[in-house]
Amino acid sequence: MRHLTLSALAVAAFCGAPAIAQDAATAGPGQAVDMVLLPKFLGILPFDQAHRGAQEAHAELGNPGELLYTGPTPENSVAGQIEILTTAASQGRDVVLLSNNAGDQIVPAAQAAQEAGTRVVTWDSPIPSGEGESLFVAQVDFAEIGVVMADMAHSIMDGEGQFAILSATPDAANQNAWIAAMQAALAADEKYAGLELVDTVYGDDQSEVSYNRALALVDAHPDLELIMAPTSVGIVAAAKAMQDEGLCDRVKVSGLGVPAEMVSYTLNGCAPQFALWSFVDLGYLAYYVGYLLATGAIEAAEGQTFEAGRMGTYTIERDPTRDNGLRVLMGPFTVYTAENVEAAAQ
Amino acid sequence: MTALRERLTSWEGFLLLVLVLLYAWNALASPVFLTLGNQVNLFQLSIEKVIVALAMTFVIINGEIDLSVASVMGLAACSFGWLHGAGVPAAAAIPLVLLLGLACGGFNAFWVVRVGLPSLVVTLATMIAFRGLARVLVEDRGIGGFPAWFNALGQKPLIGPFPFAILLFFAMAALAWVLLHRTVFGRQVTVIGASRAVAEYSGVDVGRVKTAVLVASSGVAALAGLLFAARVGAVRGDVALGFELDIITIVLLGGVSIFGGVGSVTGTVLAILIVLSLRNGMALANLTGHIQSGVLGVLLILSVMVPVFRGWFQRVLHRPEAVS
Repeated sequence: MRHLTLSALAVAAFCGAPAIAQDAATAGPGQAVDMVLLPKFLGILPFDQAHRGAQEAHAELGNPGELLYTGPTPENSVAGQIEILTTAASQGRDVVLLSNNAGDQIVPAAQAAQEAGTRVVTWDSPIPSGEGESLFVAQVDFAEIGVVMADMAHSIMDGEGQFAILSATPDAANQNAWIAAMQAALAADEKYAGLELVDTVYGDDQSEVSYNRALALVDAHPDLELIMAPTSVGIVAAAKAMQDEGLCDRVKVSGLGVPAEMVSYTLNGCAPQFALWSFVDLGYLAYYVGYLLATGAIEAAEGQTFEAGRMGTYTIERDPTRDNGLRVLMGPFTVYTAENVEAAAQ
Repeated sequence: MTALRERLTSWEGFLLLVLVLLYAWNALASPVFLTLGNQVNLFQLSIEKVIVALAMTFVIINGEIDLSVASVMGLAACSFGWLHGAGVPAAAAIPLVLLLGLACGGFNAFWVVRVGLPSLVVTLATMIAFRGLARVLVEDRGIGGFPAWFNALGQKPLIGPFPFAILLFFAMAALAWVLLHRTVFGRQVTVIGASRAVAEYSGVDVGRVKTAVLVASSGVAALAGLLFAARVGAVRGDVALGFELDIITIVLLGGVSIFGGVGSVTGTVLAILIVLSLRNGMALANLTGHIQSGVLGVLLILSVMVPVFRGWFQRVLHRPEAVS
């Protein structure tokens, strides 16, 4: 999945939020704030889900302003994002919620927007240098991804057995960081001692390649019990491969996946557990942050605490994954099983 | 009178009419459109493409095509980033990058002029090769941190509200007009595009003219790549990816025939203004990228049909004269 492989965060150790005694700011509903939700590009499910979350917050806060959901095409993502951000500032919109796909190339446009009074809040993928951005609404902490994957492997294999990793590409920054985080988690706790990682292969985030790599893993390792795929393309391909070859009783699949794509494999037992953060919640939280900033209820400053509707209280902290920049860490992961996958797949 | 009448009923006259209508429509649709800030932005957001479109006008009138321009832009921007990363001062990197651009054009011209391969094939190949080189240099990580004066060149106003690149564009447009319509070289470019055989019999050094046009095309593309780097303040392997289509669309819409021999700088400039105000109007109307691409795609089809329209348009308007 593009949004997993494209955002280029570095792995970092989990840092606790500084506990500063301060009353949490709350949103005053009914104020007019013109918002733009700007994804990397249009046409993939997670961004539409984020839009749903933003719409929910928009309705909940009774914002008489406009919530515009617009984005470029995948081929024109960089120039398109710069153009939309610049135009939004010309139009005098109050907030742009940006899932940045342009790296630091968006910095001049973001700085110009801030000077014109348009706040830029990033979500899903930040501005690497942190310049031009008010703050970043991060989905989950990378270190936590490692623990969640280790726990799923532990649970599926009952604490003992061989597993392999099916990743995206060998140089995919996110996946490599997550695999490293999982290995760190496995090494850190004695309870994972029975889990043996026997192989790591790459399906290039293409369905057919991933499908074949998954089958090759089963051939190469007769005692394999689990394929862990930290990519939404790989996990679907691996689950389909195990299902098609009738291998689901022997080899399970787990990793990071989208509920709507995984629901049948989770219900038939091929992929009993997988994880992802909720993009609906991410859109909802990003909207709240933008609204609170634009209405002056909060400042983009370290230690600022605020309430984000149904999601509870959050604190702005320094982003440990970047040299410069502030973040709000959403977390936690949702682990999907046969119990909750159907509701999330809607 | 006939001269004026002919001018008004020409393709350029039609483009001017479309442009006026488009400006009126956009101004009515959004109060932001006519503000000075937005008009500057409208140019600024696409300035690199329109500068390259000026050079592309010569290439297509000359009966050739240059599909590699966007890749040269990307390669120039990435080479600049790479040189900067290697510690070369920006003032020294700029001439090196421009030389590299000219060399890219020389490479294209070698295969087209010396070996005699079609420019469509040669520049398709170099489009891929130059892009590959750009990606090797910079990969997918961004390189930024250029000196403040370099970034200011692309981002800050230089004279009044106008940044350097916009002033440069108008200067280059004037230069292109003089070159194409008032010099021997310009007439040679057009004659070669209209009929290579006639040009050769008339003693025109076809190879030299073609080489000059292709080298200039890449040189201007390299300059545009540097302007892009200055405007966005960071470069990545995908800089200017796919820009060649927008550039060629503009030139064809301007009335330059894809078969060569026909076209004017005035037409290209009018087409530039039309495409930019159309894009900006659609953005202000909050149309998504997919709809904008669709509209520009339709425009490309229409612009390829320009010769057909042009003939039809002029037949209809000139019919009374022909009868009398």
